[in-house]
Amino acid sequence: MPYPELPPDFPEEHRSVWVDIDPTLFDPEVGNRTYNEYLDELEFAAGCGFDAVGVNEHHSNGYGLMPSPNIIAAALSRNCPDTNIIVLGDSVALYNPPLRVAEEIAMLDGITGGRMVAGFPVGSPMDTIFAYGQNPATLRERYHEGVDLIRQAWTRDEVFAYNGKYNKLRYVNVWPRPVQKPHPPIWIPGGGSVDTWDWCAQEDLVYCYLSYFGYKAGLKTMQGFWKKVQENGKEPNPFQGGFAQFIAVADTEKEAWDLYREPAEYFFNTCLHVYAGFADPPGYKTPNTVRAGVEGMVERAAREATARSESKKSRGGGGFPKGLSFEEMVEKGYVILGDPTQVAEQVHELATTMHIGHLMAFCHFGNMNKELVRYNTEMYATQVMPEVSGLFEDEFEDLWWPQPLAEAARRDVPEVPAS
Amino acid sequence: MLGNPGEHAFLNALANNGWRVIAPSLPGFTGSSESNTLRNLHDWVVAASELVDIAGVAGVPIVASSVGAMVALELAAIRPEAFDAMVLVAPFGLWDPQDPVADPFATTLTNQRKMLTVDPAASASFFDDSEDMPADLLVEHGVDRYLTRSASAQLIWPIPEFGISERLHLVKNPVTLVHGDKDAIIPPSYMEKWAQMLPNVAGTHLVEEAGHHAEFDRPEHVAAIVKSALS
Repeated sequence: MPYPELPPDFPEEHRSVWVDIDPTLFDPEVGNRTYNEYLDELEFAAGCGFDAVGVNEHHSNGYGLMPSPNIIAAALSRNCPDTNIIVLGDSVALYNPPLRVAEEIAMLDGITGGRMVAGFPVGSPMDTIFAYGQNPATLRERYHEGVDLIRQAWTRDEVFAYNGKYNKLRYVNVWPRPVQKPHPPIWIPGGGSVDTWDWCAQEDLVYCYLSYFGYKAGLKTMQGFWKKVQENGKEPNPFQGGFAQFIAVADTEKEAWDLYREPAEYFFNTCLHVYAGFADPPGYKTPNTVRAGVEGMVERAAREATARSESKKSRGGGGFPKGLSFEEMVEKGYVILGDPTQVAEQVHELATTMHIGHLMAFCHFGNMNKELVRYNTEMYATQVMPEVSGLFEDEFEDLWWPQPLAEAARRDVPEVPAS
Repeated sequence: MLGNPGEHAFLNALANNGWRVIAPSLPGFTGSSESNTLRNLHDWVVAASELVDIAGVAGVPIVASSVGAMVALELAAIRPEAFDAMVLVAPFGLWDPQDPVADPFATTLTNQRKMLTVDPAASASFFDDSEDMPADLLVEHGVDRYLTRSASAQLIWPIPEFGISERLHLVKNPVTLVHGDKDAIIPPSYMEKWAQMLPNVAGTHLVEEAGHHAEFDRPEHVAAIVKSALS
């Protein structure tokens, strides 16, 4: 959910799109229009036949206007009856107590009749450490305790006391209870932490690599996860893996190049203009991740953005160097582009090489206008999705997909009063 | 109590006075175990109190800087007999919204180094690795450096003010205050704020051409201040 009208000279004149973005750049009228257009687009995607629509959480950020994903999920809950809703997700450590997440997801699961996926990210350093003031040294421990609390709150059929290191609750009793049993599927969006791979493998949670940098760069990360799955003696079920990918599909390849250049450049060169000092606060990474030398996607984006800014300074401020070109984005796989056949081939390659059963298709990125979003969304849903859906279904069962109430038993759309 | 001990010119200068100098490594800092069992400032102060007892140094003078000076002051407030006289270099713990403490972590490692000392060479023992260091040791040094920075962050994130001004009247020890005149993290004006709040100030010293770690930038000079204060 990017703010679509950052000034063209934003990367030159501003330090960061995240954390200390200039509050005066926000135009409430643009906000009003944008929120409603984005809701329209998500509802449109649901109507096109996507298996699910997804929302996520970011703070103090010009490229993500969704501090509360549960609010957007609630707005969607009664208008998308034929699809599932993936909250990917709630940054558990930022909720005090995290029980609030258990309650809100249970509410959403109740409203939708069991069509929810609950995602629990640690959250980016910018969101958690800087915008929300969490201590980097205790963030992950707080996060894991929060997830444990939520899982217990959803599954224990008793009122219980929770005596955690960070959460002291004398009476835990989530009311309402989630529709899905034992609870909605839990997906863990990750940015490359070695320990998150191991944890997801051990706990049978879906690991989703939400990379900005496409499937070619993401392969190493997913291989790291699957290695941990094998080391834990588990079956490498592709539905335990998820990946996010920018999609740019049109009737012809040439048309795709013409249509998607500007929004892709806006996203990668403006929306990812993050100051490097915000990307790697000490304590955010685990020692294992530091030791493995794994660079998170946000850290990488910030490093590249800051390098461009410092290059400008070293040149005396004149001639801000151009960011990544659209050609480079496509060549490196950040954006999968082409006609429907070309895109389907690349998505197939992505899914099979990374062993991914859940693909999160970014059909809206950057400052796309609503017509283009709908075009990209519809093209993907009608001409690409049929070619790649069901890829692993003969061999594996998706154990991490919502299990809603039977349609006859569900009541999840607005009732129209009799006239 | 300097947070990050090791071979420092400042420690050597203190030892040259004929003193026995004990420089503990605080939890999480290089050479010590990780700090992840410490939840909050209270836990840190308890750990410091234990350290004083286990080392058998209760009642001796203390020289402390930065985050170490903050912990020392907190301990002195509840246990003044833990120390004799105190020399404190740029303690964290106060917050003036008109002249706020800089965020030393919302920056790159290169810039953080610039914030710590005026002379980058003064912090070489922490930031630089020798060129012939084996790769595996290089990695471990990088991890140690990261953990040390993490421990500092754990102590003072996100705003290094935990109500110490309400407890300073309990600090009966004579306190000598030292501050670098080019401290890029805690404004030098904070020395006067401490001096106004502490009940028993023995002296204040603004050190020229010195950054946040004045004892790194001007080791001989700060050691001379310490010698004068403790003699």
